[in-house]
Amino acid sequence: MKNELAILCIEDEPDVLDALVRDLAAFEDYFLVETASDVNEAEGVLDRLRASNTAVGLIFCDHILPGKNGVDFLVELHKNPDTRLTRKVLFTGQAGLEATVTAVNRAGLHYYIAKPWNPEEVVACAREQLTRYVIQAGLNPLPYMKILDTDQLSAAIARRDFLTDR
Amino acid sequence: MAGLAALSLPLWLSLDGLSLGGHIALGIFLMAAIFWMAEPIPIYATSLLVITLQVLLLSSQGIVVTFSDPPTVAPEAVDSEVWVIPESAYSSATEQVYLLESNGSFRGLSVEVVERGNAGVLVRPFTIPPDTELLADAGHWRRGIEPVSYTVFLGTLSNPIIILFLGGFLLAAAAVRYELERNLTRIFLKPFGNAPSNILLGMMLVTAVLSAFMSNTATTAMMMTVVLPLIRQLPDGDRFRIGLALCIPVAANIGGIITPIGTPPNAIVIAALAEQGYSIPFGIWMLLTTPLVLVLMAIVWFTLMRLFPCKQAQVELELSGNFQRSPKAIALYLIFGTTVILWVTEAWHGLSSSLVALLPIAGLTACQVVEKQEIRSLPWEVLWLVAGGIALGISMRDTGLAMWLISGVPWGALGVLGLLIVFCLVAVTFSNFLSNTVTATLVIPLAIGLSVGGVLPDTQTLFTVALMIAVSCSLGMALPISTPPNAIAYSTGLLRTVDLAKVGIFTAVVGILLAMASALLLWPLILPSITG
Repeated sequence: MKNELAILCIEDEPDVLDALVRDLAAFEDYFLVETASDVNEAEGVLDRLRASNTAVGLIFCDHILPGKNGVDFLVELHKNPDTRLTRKVLFTGQAGLEATVTAVNRAGLHYYIAKPWNPEEVVACAREQLTRYVIQAGLNPLPYMKILDTDQLSAAIARRDFLTDR
Repeated sequence: MAGLAALSLPLWLSLDGLSLGGHIALGIFLMAAIFWMAEPIPIYATSLLVITLQVLLLSSQGIVVTFSDPPTVAPEAVDSEVWVIPESAYSSATEQVYLLESNGSFRGLSVEVVERGNAGVLVRPFTIPPDTELLADAGHWRRGIEPVSYTVFLGTLSNPIIILFLGGFLLAAAAVRYELERNLTRIFLKPFGNAPSNILLGMMLVTAVLSAFMSNTATTAMMMTVVLPLIRQLPDGDRFRIGLALCIPVAANIGGIITPIGTPPNAIVIAALAEQGYSIPFGIWMLLTTPLVLVLMAIVWFTLMRLFPCKQAQVELELSGNFQRSPKAIALYLIFGTTVILWVTEAWHGLSSSLVALLPIAGLTACQVVEKQEIRSLPWEVLWLVAGGIALGISMRDTGLAMWLISGVPWGALGVLGLLIVFCLVAVTFSNFLSNTVTATLVIPLAIGLSVGGVLPDTQTLFTVALMIAVSCSLGMALPISTPPNAIAYSTGLLRTVDLAKVGIFTAVVGILLAMASALLLWPLILPSITG
């Protein structure tokens, strides 16, 4: 079941990207952690994941990027049926009010992390958002019980017949 | 591949003493068994495939019967009693001729040969209805298939036991919607206090009672949400964490034994008995199985406390919530209560539990306690899985396959006790690796065959063997893959496979011993009341 779901981190500063990936280390046994330094590269990663049938559960996206900015990219992803359910986190220090409002209203933004960030917040956010993704996408929760929110996943199993007696 | 090869078996293999219909049934049986074991397609899909193949190959309306045109001949009357038929239409082996029935099957009719001549055989039948057609070639292959109406196979999808389960599913879905199970859990757990051993006992009892009426899987998932906060209060190294995480799946697995609707293998066994014309009232089933489950739970509880002792003197159990009081919730409570009471008291009022199940089915939908959303998310595939199992059993019996399968082995030599042990061990072993329902499906036809074949001396013995199979199918729980409740508990990462295996095997062994004891001591006291 490993690597059935991916986490995508988009950030143009290599040091910041490294730090973010390091904070997500606990998830690497259960999810594919992918990185990109701009929107172009991110689209390439998405194509590759699509080809290998790996869904993207969570995206951490910086706003100020070379080329297309992060919020516009998130709006596109929100319109695309493949990534509509993907949990979208804006991960930035420089998004102005207008961009943030756009992200909330038009990209279905799920979470906002301000830089500099607290590693525990990133872990908690990833856990929470991925849990919601697994439940909303109707995936089998069992492979993720250990790493994600076990209570919520158990409740989802009880409520929604992912599993039945056999 | 192997499954498809097995299905084509009637084309390349001819077995002594087995009719062509039996060969087809054997092909379907082997294909189903292989598909159920290797799971190239989901197990419920295999069940639907079984029903489809039976309709196509074994029913009067199926392709084999419809598109094969066996040669027929009309007998000529010499006088009112004597008829002339072609030599080939008379089977000297059986001293019969074969009449074509409207459903495509052939009915054998014993005749007395008056004279053999050039014109054919002159026979004296007892009666030959007007316009009768005889099979012109008494040895024709089609005689080997005795087709039944396709409604027999399709009917399994609405077999009374399926309706009973549907009623149970609707009650469970409604209970989840209005948080009845959660609130009942809260009320039941309260008297057990805060001592770890009491809490463990409380958890097990509540889980078992809920899983007796709801699916074992849904019960486990719900109870995990109750037990996880407790586990988090305990320090990392405390072995009691393992005990708590283990007690839920074990209690859910064995809790399913308590009632006919507790778990699908019970349905397979009850349906197989019903096909033979026997029924077990709901309350009687509970009377038969509850004692052994209670004793088993007590022993497992004691063992879990010894294996995984708690270092803390107290554990805080916090459960909040209130019974909902909306009109719909109250309608649910009333329907739930009435249904359960009517089920348990079936032996007194005589209304079969399947009929009682119409109360929640009609009542909950009429009061809109369950709506489209709940109906759509019912576990329909479980019903299909069971229906396929029932259908397989029917054709195994009707084609003589079940009898044929048991005929090669001198079962009688084992004695009844030996038979019980063999069935138990086979069922427990299989159910560790296969779906419990599939295990019951594969094993129960043999028991029915033994009964029809006269190896089981009386009805009471058949009931005993059948119950034993049902109980054993629920006891296979040594591995994470054995049952979905095991898979849920294991996926939390709180326990290791070895913990599960240790407790699972222990539970199964004690469970079998207790079932044996029940079969010898308790069941003989209760069974005569239903076998007459």
